[in-house]
Amino acid sequence: MNRGVEIRELKKNFTLTRWTGFHRTVSEVVAVDGISMVVPQGQAVAFIGPNGAGKSTTIKMLTGILHPTSGNVSVLGFTPWRDRRRLAHCIGAVFGQRSQLWYHLPARDTFELLSRVYGLERSEFIRTRDVLIERFNLGPFMDTPVRKLSLGQRMRAEVAASLLHRPRVLFLDEPTIGLDVIARQLLRDLICEWNRNDGTTLFLTSHDAGDIEHVAQRVVVINHGHVVVDDNVAAVRRKYLGAKILRVQFHGAPRSMKLAGVTMLQESDTSGSFRSIRPSFQCVLLLQRCWMRVPLPTSRWRIHHWKK
Amino acid sequence: MTIMKSANRYLWIGYTAARSNLAYGGEVIYRCSFLTIILYIFLRLWNVVYAATGSDRVGGLTLPQMVWYLVVTEAIYLSAPRVASEVDEDVRTGRLAVHLIRPLSYVGGHLSRAMGDRVVRFAINLTVGAVLAMILVGPIPISAAGIVMFFATLPAAFLLDFLGMFLIGLCAFWLESTSGLALLYTRTVMMFGGMFLPLAIYPAVLQPILKVLPFASMLSAPGVMFVNPSFLLLKESIVIQGAAVTVFLLVVAIVQFLAMRRLFSNGG
Repeated sequence: MNRGVEIRELKKNFTLTRWTGFHRTVSEVVAVDGISMVVPQGQAVAFIGPNGAGKSTTIKMLTGILHPTSGNVSVLGFTPWRDRRRLAHCIGAVFGQRSQLWYHLPARDTFELLSRVYGLERSEFIRTRDVLIERFNLGPFMDTPVRKLSLGQRMRAEVAASLLHRPRVLFLDEPTIGLDVIARQLLRDLICEWNRNDGTTLFLTSHDAGDIEHVAQRVVVINHGHVVVDDNVAAVRRKYLGAKILRVQFHGAPRSMKLAGVTMLQESDTSGSFRSIRPSFQCVLLLQRCWMRVPLPTSRWRIHHWKK
Repeated sequence: MTIMKSANRYLWIGYTAARSNLAYGGEVIYRCSFLTIILYIFLRLWNVVYAATGSDRVGGLTLPQMVWYLVVTEAIYLSAPRVASEVDEDVRTGRLAVHLIRPLSYVGGHLSRAMGDRVVRFAINLTVGAVLAMILVGPIPISAAGIVMFFATLPAAFLLDFLGMFLIGLCAFWLESTSGLALLYTRTVMMFGGMFLPLAIYPAVLQPILKVLPFASMLSAPGVMFVNPSFLLLKESIVIQGAAVTVFLLVVAIVQFLAMRRLFSNGG
């Protein structure tokens, strides 16, 4: 098996220094606590977890930006923090909230610059660039300054720019953040296609379930620095996403409701919890049915995804 | 990667930065207008000073030489790119990651970008200032050798200023905000670099000290080299600039090492 990324017992502690007057207290925060995993070349992995789980810290260690406290990492045979410059030729990154495109110039100029930065052969660069322009449909705005592009156009250009040097591993940090439904789906399709055709290993970080289900083959859930789930997407969906729980806060006392496919779990004076095990059930439909039965001038609702 | 390919990367960054600088015609016009106003005000002030002293030379310079000196120092000062705030922003927003993920030196990338910015701004400022000076006071005697000597002092002047601002920006690894330090630095360069007044006008006891400080190498040295060039002055400038660049490079290397160690161990 061609091993793209190997992580063994990776740990990272941050030192926190607090001053109370002249007294200094030093404590350690464990951000990553013994992560181990192997990602074969060409696999698309969704690396997800709540805020503060250790995702970004792990990604930064894989790209050589941070040095681990202990543990071993091999990315394409390189140790990231020792071989950062050599590894940089083989990896790419897209940060949803940080742009690598020059803001006042067209994307074409950034592409030209990147070809020099990565030392690409001219013919190879032109071939790759033209393929990316065609596949990502960048043609209509390649000569428009980036500041004038819509977010969807900019993100397509960002992802294309990160693929110019044909990286073998691509890190995507919230690539679809802020995009509308159509732009999001388009970007997902493009990323998937590149993963399939070029065999680029993908590391995707996203809070969007759609990104994970459409792009990734494997899901790694991290929390408190540990891997809590590591399985393929279908298995995760089957095991952990079988039911939805909707908690509704009513304005007045709700009448008891019987809704098809929905079980009332709990009822109080002004709130109710409903559970549905139908995977296709949409919470907005439940809300509509509630509104039809009970006038709700103001209401709050919270969705919980619950294991069966 | 060969040396040529490596140099090509940084040259292209500078070229791209230069093009980016010209993206807004309105901003270029605004900067030129500001320079025009400043030069006109100082011309009027120096007219009064020369009339009050009753002498045709102040600090060894005639009025036309003084105006041309101001053109050069203002052109250099106003062409300074925002290096400190860019490095500060890189650290605080995490944009540093975008730079580190590339096969580029962080300081090299910033230097290329700053030089690209600066060359364009300086060329525009110098052209506008020269036209204004020609209209207001007329030309001064300039030789080809003088022009060469003037341009010989510019690379080190720009490099010194960049290193100073880069050091300020690196302080973002330790400080909440570097804007105060940046302000102190720019005002120090202005006052002790001879931007408004040639160093010859300062008290005699201060002049030797000011001459060896790096600030004079950034502004006063090129300014005096333009209006009153001499080989002796050029040799002196090169020695002082060379020593200042060496010291600054050493300090930047040490501070960057400490900053990156802080980044690698604690995320900056």
